[in-house]
Amino acid sequence: MALMTIAEALRQAIREEMRRDPRVFCIGEDIGIPGGFGGAFTVTLGLSEEFGHERILDTPISETGLIGVAIGAAMAGLRPIADVQYGDFLFCAMDQIANQAAKMTYMSGGTVKVPLVIRAPVGATGRGAQHAQSLEAFFTHIPGLKVVAPATAYDAKGLLKSAVRDDNPVIIFEHKLLYGSKGPRAERGALSPVGEVPEEEYLVPIGKGIIRREGKDVTIVGKLLTVYRALEAAEQLAKEGIEAEVIDPRTLVPLDKELILDSVRKTGRLVIVEEDNYTGGWGADVAAMVAAEAFFWLDAPIVRVSAPDTPPPFSPPMEQFYVPSAERVVQAVKSIL
Amino acid sequence: MATDVLVPPLGQTVDTVTLVTWYKREGEAVTQGERLYAIETDKATLDIEAPASGILRHITAQPGQKVRVLSPIARILAPGEEAEAVPAPAPPAAPAGAPVPPTPTPAPAAKPPTTPPAGRIFISPRARRLAEEHNVPWQTLRGTGPQGAIVERDVRAYLQSRAAVKAPLVTIGPAITPPAIAVMQAIPLEGPRAVIAQRMLESRQTTAPVTLMSEADATALVELRRQFHEAGIPVSYNDIFLYIAGRALRQFPRLNASLEGETIRLWDEVHIGLAVDTERGLLVPVVRDADRKRLADIARETQRLIERARAGQLTPEEMSGGTFTITNLGMYDVDAFTPSSICRSVLCWESAASSSGRRCFRERSPCAIASG
Repeated sequence: MALMTIAEALRQAIREEMRRDPRVFCIGEDIGIPGGFGGAFTVTLGLSEEFGHERILDTPISETGLIGVAIGAAMAGLRPIADVQYGDFLFCAMDQIANQAAKMTYMSGGTVKVPLVIRAPVGATGRGAQHAQSLEAFFTHIPGLKVVAPATAYDAKGLLKSAVRDDNPVIIFEHKLLYGSKGPRAERGALSPVGEVPEEEYLVPIGKGIIRREGKDVTIVGKLLTVYRALEAAEQLAKEGIEAEVIDPRTLVPLDKELILDSVRKTGRLVIVEEDNYTGGWGADVAAMVAAEAFFWLDAPIVRVSAPDTPPPFSPPMEQFYVPSAERVVQAVKSIL
Repeated sequence: MATDVLVPPLGQTVDTVTLVTWYKREGEAVTQGERLYAIETDKATLDIEAPASGILRHITAQPGQKVRVLSPIARILAPGEEAEAVPAPAPPAAPAGAPVPPTPTPAPAAKPPTTPPAGRIFISPRARRLAEEHNVPWQTLRGTGPQGAIVERDVRAYLQSRAAVKAPLVTIGPAITPPAIAVMQAIPLEGPRAVIAQRMLESRQTTAPVTLMSEADATALVELRRQFHEAGIPVSYNDIFLYIAGRALRQFPRLNASLEGETIRLWDEVHIGLAVDTERGLLVPVVRDADRKRLADIARETQRLIERARAGQLTPEEMSGGTFTITNLGMYDVDAFTPSSICRSVLCWESAASSSGRRCFRERSPCAIASG
């Protein structure tokens, strides 16, 4: 076992997959330039020294172009890992992702595969409206994409390796406050969880969630950073004798519905926490799924804790108000007890 | 400083009481010493005073709910402490002329109402499923959940109280599906009635009741009562029986006794309970030292106790410590009856003496002395 940050675990996953399979390559902006950061958050730092600039491919600032190249390479048999620096820039490549990558397998009757991985950092971190969004719901809505959202170093490595080996386009959302990036790319207010990562080969299967804390009174579902907010809230609630169960789905598409449903059948209450905007958020779909499939087990209305329906504000105090805090999760739980 | 509103301790045998009503609403100002809420024990309804002055907040128990003694059911905040209830931050003001952004929707900002709209009963799907599995008349329950909804714990509390008053039923033979009969009203068995039912059943299961009947000439008794009334002292037959029983018990101490487990305790004092029928059910206030009191004093005391019993004001102390019980159904034209003792005394005196009954007019009063 080695202790690693998420950025280090992702780097190790890429290194191992690139060593294992010569078809795997990375493409992105400033991911391998000498003296650079190794992408925006140090994940690809040093990889060009081992694999060279042929496989750590720097591009101009053109998300439309680099995602298009990656999709074409994937259709032609390679296994690209595309990096977009900030998830917000995926909007530039929306036609490539939604109309091409996601639909090719369906439109070709399964003869064309698009084994593409897109890495997309998300989350509000003092960068204002265009570098801070939580974009998960945009992509969970598109059939043909798989969407993963690791919150620990172990899951980050295991899920990225599974994504590389998957024949479908997989988007991996990474939270900027969880990377544990060091040096000039260290994030203010970061949680930077350091976790144990096995030396030996392992994969985390896409589509399997995990219970981060067991409890019987209420189920709290979070993802990425809000898993930690939910755990903080559970800690506070425990002091008052309220036992919260915290679930980290890890994969958003396909969702581990049974894990959530089983928990709600036990607790009778559900709080969903996410950094996304409220309307049409990923949590809305989870709430609807539970209402449809576990209605008779619910003992209280489902509550969602999210960002309000505004862009992420730039001012740090405003941003503090904007993103869900552990206190808001505690309040939400108490409102349905 | 905030003061917890605690359910007061009510003697050694009471551990849960039912909250009857709040006299003050959430957010209302209260003054120390004024009546704040009412509770009902298995024996009486009591008003409880506010322990401090301030603003009533954080009410956690609703009328109808069972609460444990010494548990907090609300808080009284000093006026300055209102700020503790973290208000939702106000959205920033938009500069003049700027486009108005859509209103943010932070989840906890809007506080849902705490009660369902009039005429509606809210029940969670989980609670309803449980209620229907156990044939619980959930329409009669009071909800303690969000928006006043009936939630799982309310149904479980009902099931628990039902289990407490119901003896286990043994089904013999094939199960019979009862015919579908329209229910006019489903009244949950709770409060004093539930306790009486439970005690009666226990009594029947744990004692061997024997009833002896003997007729006595009551000419002198009727005459005595008439003389008291002429003298302006309203004495009832019950009072006379209490007086007689008190003196008799002092003469025959083995009858002033209780069976407790393997021990018969002979009491050194004579305290006589008088069964009183009230709207809340049977209550038994106790006349203390009945063997030493004058008849007129007994009459004054029983009158006071009966009034308090009917008004639901008896305290637990006024209903405990009896060594003997008298019950009288003579006023209902009953000639004789068998007792179900809910006290532990070895003797109950069941008297069917009536001021207007047939036999008393013939100057004979039937009395039943029953060991139970």
